[in-house]
Order: sequence, then C-alpha cells, then structure tokens
Amino acid sequence: MTRDLEQYLRPGLVTAFCPGCGDGILLGLILRAIDELKINIDDMLFVSGIGCAGWIPSPNFNADTLHTLHGRTIPFATGAKMFNPKLQVMIISGDGDLADIGGNHLIHGARRNIDLTVILVNNFLYGMTGGQVACTTPMGAFTMTTTEGNPYRPFDLPKLVDAAGATYVARYSVTQPLALISSIKKAVQIKGFSFIEVLSPCPIQFGRRNQLGTPIDMIKFLMDKCIMKEEAEGLSPEELEGKIITGEFSDGRN
Amino acid sequence: MAEISTQVRLCGFGGQGVILAGTMLGYAGINDEKWVAGSNSYGAAARGGTCRADVIISDKPISFPHVVEVDVLIAMSQKAYDVYIKNVETGAGIVIYDEQMVSPKEISGLKQIGIPATNAAIRELNSKQVVNIVILSSAVEITKIVNRDALISAIEENVPERFKALNLEAVELGFKLGK
Amino acid sequence: MKSILSPGSYYFSGDEAIAEGAIAARCGYFAGYPITPASEIVERISIRFKETGGVFIQMEDEIASICSIIGASWAGARAMTATSGPGFSLMQEGVGHAVMTETPIVIIDVQRAGPGLGQATRPASGDIMQARWGSHSDRQIIALCPWSVQEAYDQTIDAFNLAEKYRVPVILLTDEAVGHLREKMDIREDVDIFNRTKKPGAAPFGTEEDDGVPPMPTFGEREKLLVTSSTHNDYGIRKTDDPLVQAKLVSRLYSKIMNNREKIIDYDSCYMEDAEVVVVCYGFTARSALFAIEKLRGEGKKVGMFRLKTMWPFPDRLIRDIGSRAKKILVPEMNKGQVVEEVMKYASCDAILYSQTNGEDIHPNAIIEQLRRLV
Repeated sequence: MTRDLEQYLRPGLVTAFCPGCGDGILLGLILRAIDELKINIDDMLFVSGIGCAGWIPSPNFNADTLHTLHGRTIPFATGAKMFNPKLQVMIISGDGDLADIGGNHLIHGARRNIDLTVILVNNFLYGMTGGQVACTTPMGAFTMTTTEGNPYRPFDLPKLVDAAGATYVARYSVTQPLALISSIKKAVQIKGFSFIEVLSPCPIQFGRRNQLGTPIDMIKFLMDKCIMKEEAEGLSPEELEGKIITGEFSDGRN
Repeated sequence: MAEISTQVRLCGFGGQGVILAGTMLGYAGINDEKWVAGSNSYGAAARGGTCRADVIISDKPISFPHVVEVDVLIAMSQKAYDVYIKNVETGAGIVIYDEQMVSPKEISGLKQIGIPATNAAIRELNSKQVVNIVILSSAVEITKIVNRDALISAIEENVPERFKALNLEAVELGFKLGK
Repeated sequence: MKSILSPGSYYFSGDEAIAEGAIAARCGYFAGYPITPASEIVERISIRFKETGGVFIQMEDEIASICSIIGASWAGARAMTATSGPGFSLMQEGVGHAVMTETPIVIIDVQRAGPGLGQATRPASGDIMQARWGSHSDRQIIALCPWSVQEAYDQTIDAFNLAEKYRVPVILLTDEAVGHLREKMDIREDVDIFNRTKKPGAAPFGTEEDDGVPPMPTFGEREKLLVTSSTHNDYGIRKTDDPLVQAKLVSRLYSKIMNNREKIIDYDSCYMEDAEVVVVCYGFTARSALFAIEKLRGEGKKVGMFRLKTMWPFPDRLIRDIGSRAKKILVPEMNKGQVVEEVMKYASCDAILYSQTNGEDIHPNAIIEQLRRLV
C-alpha cells in the first residue's frame, strides 16, 4: 500500500513544509481517514485559511479547495455547506487562523452546529509569519514576540468549542496517528459541528526557541506531554502538571 | 381637490398606527392610479416619540418625493400638532384633528376640522386601535384626496385577516364622521 | 423568467424593493448582519426566503456575512448581503477577496451619514470612494446608484446579472433616503436572468476571450477547483513569486471591467440638448436636482441633468463629452466632493461642487439657488 494515497494528491506539486513539520504527517493521516471511509474525494470541499496548515489541502488535495481570508474559514464553509448540503466540507487550518483571528467564528460555528468538520492544527504559535505568539502558546514559552516568555495563558480549545455547543470535540497529537485517524473518520461521519485539535510539531519556529531544536526533540516532547484522557483520570493534579490531555471530549452522542 | 399633487402629513405619537395609516393611504393612492411617494419617522420616534407619515399623491410622476408644504395635516396628538402645524400652508391647507386629543390653536385663514375619532371608535367599535383608520377615512371623506373605494380596497388588500373586519368598520365610521 | 411577486403596483420602501429585487433575480443565498438603515432588507429576506426556498442566515458580523456569501457563490448560489457604512467597512477585505477570486456577489450598501458611527438614521453619499477603492491594492468593481424605489428594485436585479456576467462584486450604492422612501413601484411579468457561463474543463481563472471573463465552475462539478486570492495562474495554482503571473492577473481583473465599460454603464439624462449648465447627479440627490431643473426650465433657463445610474466604472467619455458642450457643471453631493473630483478629471469646463454633509437630504431649493448663480 505504499504511495496508495497519491491518488488524492494534485499532480506535479512539491511540498512546501519545513523539515520536521507535523503538517506532512497530518496530511497523510487525513487522506488515510478519507481512504478508509471510502468517500469520493470529489464529493468533498476543503476550506483552508492562512498559515502553514492551510496549505495541507490547498493546493495539495486533488479536490475542490477554497483558500480563504485569514481567520474566516468557517464563514466561507458555512456559505458553501448551507447552500449545497451535499458537499462534505472539511476545514483544515491553524491555531492562529481558527482560534486567534477567527475565534469568534469558531464559537459561532460550534453554536450553530452546522455539519462541518474542523481540523485545527496547533503548533503553539504563528509559524508562517515567523514564529510569533498565538492564543495557544504555552505560558512562559518563547516566541518572536514573547522573548521573555509568554505572559498569558493559552486557550484550552476543546473546552471552549465544547462549551460553545459542538457535537464532536477531540484533541490528539500527530504522535498518536492511529487514534487520530479514527477520530478524523468519526468527525467526518458525525452530522453536526465536529472539531479536532491536532498538536503538530514546529521545530523551526517553536522548537528552536524552546530548547527543542530538532524534529526528534519536538516529537519526543509531544509524546511525553500527551496523555490519553482515560489514563489521566487516575492521576493526581500534581502528576498531571504540564501534561496535555488528549482524547474525545464530546463524542457526538450528547 | 383641484391640485394635481397633494401633500399629506399624518402625525401623532408612536403606537397610534400613524405609519400604518400612511401606508394605507399610499395603497389607496395606487388603487386610484395615482403616483404615490412617502416617508415616515424611523427608529425610536416611530416606537414612542412624535411620529409622522408623509404621503404625496399626484397625477404625474413625483420628482422630489418629500413633503415641502403640507396640504392636509391629520393630527392625532397635541404634541405632534404643535410640531407640524407650522408646515401647513395657510389659505390652501387643511387640518383634520382628533377632538379628544388635540386643542387647536386659533389661526386665521386656516381651515381646521375636529373629528371625534377616539370617542367614536371607543363608543361604536369598542376599540382604540383603529382610531388611525377612523381619522384617515374622515380626512378622505372631507378632502377627497383619494376615492372612498380606493381606501376600502387598500384595507381589504393589505390589512391582516384577523384585523380586517374591524378596520373596514372603522373606515365606514370615519366616512360617516367626515360627512 | 417569471416574476415571483405577482405583477402589479406596490407601495414599497426602497429596502423592501431591494429584498424583492433580489428574490426576483433568483438570489438563493443571503447572509447578513442587522444595521440601520439596511435592517429591513435582512428582515424581509428572512421572511420571504421561507416562501421562495432561499437560504437565509444571520451571521455573527459583517465579515462573516461577506465571507459566507463568497462560499455560497462558489457552491452555485446567486448570493447577496446588505449593510451600511460601518458594516461595509468591515466587509472590505472580503470584497478584495471576491475581486481576486472573481466571485460574483452582490453587496447592498444603504449609505448613512458618517464617518464612524455618524448618524445611523440619516442619509449620506459618503461611501462612493469606499466602494471604488475600499480594500487594499487595485480593484475594479461595478457600483450602481438608484434614485427611486422602482430603480432600487430594477438595479438589484441588474446587480445580480452583472455580477454573474463579469464575475465581480457588484455594489448597490443606495442611501437611507431611498432605503426608507416609500413609492409606487411596478412589478413586471418577466425578469431577465443572466446565468454564469459554464465550460467544463476550461481554466477557471484565465481566458483568451475578448471579454476577459473566464467561465465559472461550481464546487461539486468534479473540476477539482483551487480557489485562492493569493496570486494564481489560470488554474488557481498559487504563484506568489512570479511577476508575470501577477501582472497578467491584475491587468485582466482591471481590463475585464474597463474594456467592457461601455456595455456596463447606464445613465439617464434630460433637458441636455441646449443645456449650458448641467447638473451631474446620482442617488436621492438627483430627485432634488430634477425638481430644481424643471422649475428653472419653466423660467426658460438652459439647465440640464445627467444622472449616474452606474457609478463605477465611471462614465469618463460621457462626462468628457458633456464638458466640451456645457459651460458649467454642478455636482450636488451628500459628501465632501467624491464625485465632483471624478468629473473634474474628464470635463474641460468648470465643475462646481455643492456639498451638504449635515445628515439631511439636499433640498431642491438649495440646488435652485446654486443654479441661479451659475446660469
């Protein structure tokens, strides 16, 4: 099955992702999920925003793609889906795009609970513009615009989106590929607003400034930090300190 | 009326149905195959303050669609009367007011006619809601700005079903008071 | 196509007429956010779409509104939003995006007095230049300017057809005075509808045809569309470092409007044959101008009217022609002279501004007074 996903890629393109970027891994996992679901990619619409993650589908996916204004993927997708409900709409974009500048649309999208699948790629900062702080940057982390450490707390995005009313809410890291594939499949199949926060390494912008300079360091960092929700339930607050809880936070049945 | 263009201003306070009465007069003008233009108070005034609805009814296309000089002033409240009486052209204009709501000023040369619209509506129709239509149809009866039938069909065509019978009775009452 | 509302005369406000015009033009998707004095459009559409089967959504702001109509347009809808100055300001990035992606959309701007929040319930014509240049960089759009309730209806239909024909945002630049004016207006039996051109397999962002407008596919048609407002080649592939692609694209977006402007531009004129002083006017102000001109013609004064029904693209050749024949041009405006400066670019005679920015429409007497000085 090597290279069997190539059928979903637009021919003749070269990837623009940096060495060690998690977006390439995620690109493969999304296509794997679509392949396993046996959805015709021609029936899908991929909507992406501004930032590295927006380039996962546009131009790479050989399907209808809509590359939108910074922060506005959800309104664009809402228009397309509301007018043609037959389109299977997936939004793929970054944390800065969907949660910083687009945060208001994110909570309103969840509130309306329109049948959209949102994959938010969290690399802890703004990668494409040179590594500035985002609403997802951990407190104390170093970025181009927080050279003495980020003084503010990050959003806990699944909590935010869950509270706003989404049907399906999950968080995984690209270091949990099998769980992530199954989560993407579920998110696509569920009717209603589905949201997955995907943690993705950015060794060039985040790692270099936070003593995680090589791709391996960042992957190890995510593997060490991420802990499954079920596992976390038995741990004390002290043991959970600094951990990132992953898993499903709303499974579509409530 | 001899003029080919009549400028009508209905006024009162928000909630009296001034704007609705203006719209009915507009539709009556259209039924009469006239050119019609109008505008009214908007926003907070329409909901509670002094409120007006202007309607111009003309035999030819209306270039400037706002009221410049009032030919017919229909006043449903004292405050509105006080504000707009100065816009009525003395000599040519006519004022029709609700006797229970307005005490008119003495203005020499200005024709002012009181109609007991509120009293009659309560006494004969047991409703204050249709005072607007009562005084409008009295004004139509007095001034002939539109035909009686044109006003009746305007109400038949545009008032929601559940209020229609009451409004049609109000029209007839108004015609009677205006005679 | 048949009109949706029964043919006949109605006593509509300008805002209501715009909503009905959109429905007549087969608008299938409307997204908006309430704002005075455009809210009546949003309200009427929300009710009427339930009867006609259109998709209505009230978004969280004007940015979301314009983005969502662009998404709907690519999904195949004839799509529209409606707003006023402050909301139009928020929409500007979306207008630029629609220009660059060649997305047909209709934006209704019921202008109110500004800047800032200004006077929400008062008329103005302050958004003329914003419609032309409101988003960063060069852009060509089409803007129409109705003077009556009837024309608000007619031009809303025109706006949809022009948007689809030229794959461009079309802005209906109306104002509070027309939006809240009630007038007799007629609904005709039939409506002309221009449907977007389809050509399966053809490049969606480039053409060798003279009109410069590529065919427009829709999502779900197996065209594997790449829609982006980054600089792109004929097939939508981003070419953000290629000077030739950028130059070619920006030039075509410009010329597909400018080269077709004689076909796009619509105007109205009267008493022009022997006019020595011409009033160049638009929107509600033209009603006052006509009143003034008719009055002065009654006194034998040689005054005429030229009314801009299309604001953008600007009728440069027509104004040049008027300037060569008239002695003076008067431009009454509810702004500080946004159109008079355009007139000055092309007219060889004097062009004089009469500006009123007090939130009230210009009274005919003010124009009469100005004309008496000039004749």
